[in-house]
Formats: sequence, structure tokens, C-alpha cells
Amino acid sequence: MARTEYQRRLEALREEVLRMGEVVRERLDIALRALAERNEELGREVIERDAEVNELYLDLERECMDLIALQQPVAGDLRFVTASFKIITDLERIADLATNLGEYAGRAKHEIYPDIDVIHIGERATEALAEAMTAYADEDVTTCYEIARRDDGIDDLCERASELVIRDLIDTEGNNAETERLFSEVSRLLLAVRDLERVGDHAVNIAARTLYMIESDDELIY
Amino acid sequence: MEIEAGRTGRAARPDTPVLEARGLEVHYGDDHALQPTTVDIPQKQVTAIIGPSGCGKSTFLRSINRMNDLIDVARVEGELRFRGKNVYDEDVDPVALRRRIGMVFQKPNPFPKSIRENVAYGLNVQGKEVTDEAVETALRRAALWEEVEGKLDSSGLDLSGGQQQRLCIARAIAPDPEVILMDEPASALDPIATSKVEDLIDDLAEEYTVVIVTHNMQQAARISDKTAVFLTGGELVEFGDTNEVFENPEHQAVEDYITGKFG
Repeated sequence: MARTEYQRRLEALREEVLRMGEVVRERLDIALRALAERNEELGREVIERDAEVNELYLDLERECMDLIALQQPVAGDLRFVTASFKIITDLERIADLATNLGEYAGRAKHEIYPDIDVIHIGERATEALAEAMTAYADEDVTTCYEIARRDDGIDDLCERASELVIRDLIDTEGNNAETERLFSEVSRLLLAVRDLERVGDHAVNIAARTLYMIESDDELIY
Repeated sequence: MEIEAGRTGRAARPDTPVLEARGLEVHYGDDHALQPTTVDIPQKQVTAIIGPSGCGKSTFLRSINRMNDLIDVARVEGELRFRGKNVYDEDVDPVALRRRIGMVFQKPNPFPKSIRENVAYGLNVQGKEVTDEAVETALRRAALWEEVEGKLDSSGLDLSGGQQQRLCIARAIAPDPEVILMDEPASALDPIATSKVEDLIDDLAEEYTVVIVTHNMQQAARISDKTAVFLTGGELVEFGDTNEVFENPEHQAVEDYITGKFG
């Protein structure tokens, strides 16, 4: 095998992207727990530790640029580096969404809507992220398609949840005080639902870039 | 912003083959230097030929204008058609052929004569009249005119390496060939001279068909529209649009070679 140092750096990039994936998933887990337990302190932890993720992101972005500038990867190596470059952006965004969830932790009143299982939605989104990262690690095409397909289910759950809340808000039409009260109670819940839907979308992006990386297939990219 | 597919506007042109290899193979004595090769080289585009040392890429290039005729032990089989006519047919005059298919070599090799005489040689072989205008045109096309204007009578050997190579390109294009073959034309040049030659190749492809052998894969990626990859044993393994070859090659062996995992 030639270009040993280059091969080592490619492998190190793969490992670091996977590590970033682990860190982000952990943040999402904590944020969801904070949301479920309405634990403001846990929520704050997610917000305060976001800087670590940003730092990881910048390090990996720099490494991708170095590899492109100094090693001129081509073919499968090029697709790997560019896919990794895109995937770390999705991971960084997911971490940002986790900080949003951390912020809602103390204030999202999901108990007034027992039918909206925001934690279940969160678990499905987290699962999608975990599977996308496994697909990236194992270069698993089938799982990439699976993640995209199952995201429709997450989207449906989110849409139904939003509809439920918005319908109630519409029903209070003409009673501004009631609208105001309901809105103040459920706005965080709505935002949490929207953010979790976006976590699912980022997981699909990761799967799409992984699929492109594996076999130059751009079918899942938008 | 509109982003064109491919590296240059030329990529949008239809591929009209000007050179067609049909089962072309070359032996040097017992050495089967080029396996039967079938490929179409498109007109007015840059085709790069890459591959490891001894893979047959220079052999292929030299067989296009019958430079292998000059090697006693060389034996060529199959056909190499230029504008539909097999250049190995008995009625083809190799000297006349080389006027239409010029060649630029790795090391700049100007004659130890004046700049004007170097270009004039290229015009003479074509039986063209040597006029100041014809000399200027060739030097302009080779992007050398502005650097040598006013000193056409000084020796070609007094130029820098990069200028000498562009002088050789001027000499090669003076007879107004259709195809220019280049065998590692920038490998002896520094990065700035290399950039100038690469820019020149880009310009030349507006009027000529350029086929270039290079050891420098990034150079092939930068300057060519089509890439042919020869691998050990004299086999053409892959031929295609340069961006396809460098982003998603069809063959694992090509992937291994261009990513450096070869051997």
C-alpha cells in the first residue's frame, strides 16, 4: 500500500467523524431526557457544552480542507472526504437543535397534550442519526435507503402533533386571552416538535451523503 | 450562476473522433508493450494518457504518428485511423503524416539556431513560405510572442526551459497540424513554466486535438477533457470524461492507481 501517511489520515478522519457522531447523539439523548424530566439543569448542560461540538466541527472542517489542498484525494477518497465535510455540518446542526431542546426543557408543557409523545419522536430521530452514522462506518447502502424511507414516519408524527395544537389555537379564535394562554404554554412544545423533525432531516442528509460516498449515487440528495 | 458540466466549455461539444485505434498493438521484440487497444480520440479536445511507468502510454502515443517506425524491433498490429484512414497503410508517408500529427517531447529540444529559424523549420517541412507573419502567428499561438518579440535572431537555446518548450510547441504548430501529441511536456519545467504550458494547452485545444502523456495525475485532471488510463502490461483499462475518471472510475484497478493504493 502506497501513500501510507495519507491512508492513515483518511482513516483518522473517518474515526473522528464517527466520534463526533457519538458526541452529538449523546447530547441529543441528554436534551431529550431534560425535556422528558423538565430538568432545566440538564438542559443547561447541553447548551453550555455545545462549544465542544463546535470545536470538533472546526477541527474536522480544517482536516478535510487540508486533505483536499495537500493530498488531492480523487475517486472514492474524494467522495469520502467531501461526504465527511457535509456530514460534519449536519452533525453540528443537530447539536444546535439539541441546545434548542435543552432550552425548552423547563418550559415545554407536553403534559397538556398526552397524545403528543414528543419523547417518542425524539427517540426515533435519535435512532435515525445513530443508524446513519453506522451506515457511514459500515458503508451500508441498504440502511441509507431505510433511513430515508422511515423519515416519512417521523414527518407524519410531527405533522399530526402540530396540527393538533394549531387546531386548538384556531378553536380559541375570538377569545384572545385564551389564545394567548394556550400559545404561551404550547409554543415550546411546537418548537420542540419542529426541531426533532429537523434532526430527522439531518439524519437523512447524512444517509444521502453516505450513499453518494459509497456508490456515487445522488438519489437521496434532495 | 450557471455551472457547466465538465472542466471546459469544450466538454459540451459532441465527441467527433479524429483518431480511432482498432485493436492497435505494439511489440518490441518479445515485449508486448501495447495490448490490443480500441479507443476513439475526440477532435479539438485534450485527451490525457496516464498510467504507471512501463504501462504502454508513451508507446501508444508514439504509435499515433508512427514514431515507433524509428525503432527497429517495434512491430505494430491492428489499425490506427486518422480521419478514417489507417496510418499504417502502405501508401501513407510517415513524414507527411507527422506534419499533420506533430509532437512535443519531454525535454525541450530547440535546434541550436535562432528563434526565427526554429519556427521556420516547422514551416519549411510543410513547404510553407517562411514569412515574418507566419513566424509571428506560430509564436503567438504558442504564447511566446510577447517574450521574444524583437529578439527573433537570438539563439533558441538562450531561452528559459519553459520558453524553450513553448518554442518547441511553436515549431510543432507552425505547419498547422491537426493533432499535437505531447509526451510529458511539462515534467522538466518549474511550476510557473508548467502553468504557462498548461494554459497554452487549453488554448491550443480550441484549434487542435491534443493528446498528452503525463505522469502528473493532477495535471491530467486539470487540463484534460478525456482521460485514458493504461495499467501495467500495456492495457488500456479505462477511457472516459476526465471528471468521471477522477470522481467515480469504473474499474477498481483504476481507483487503486489514482488514489495511490496501487502496488
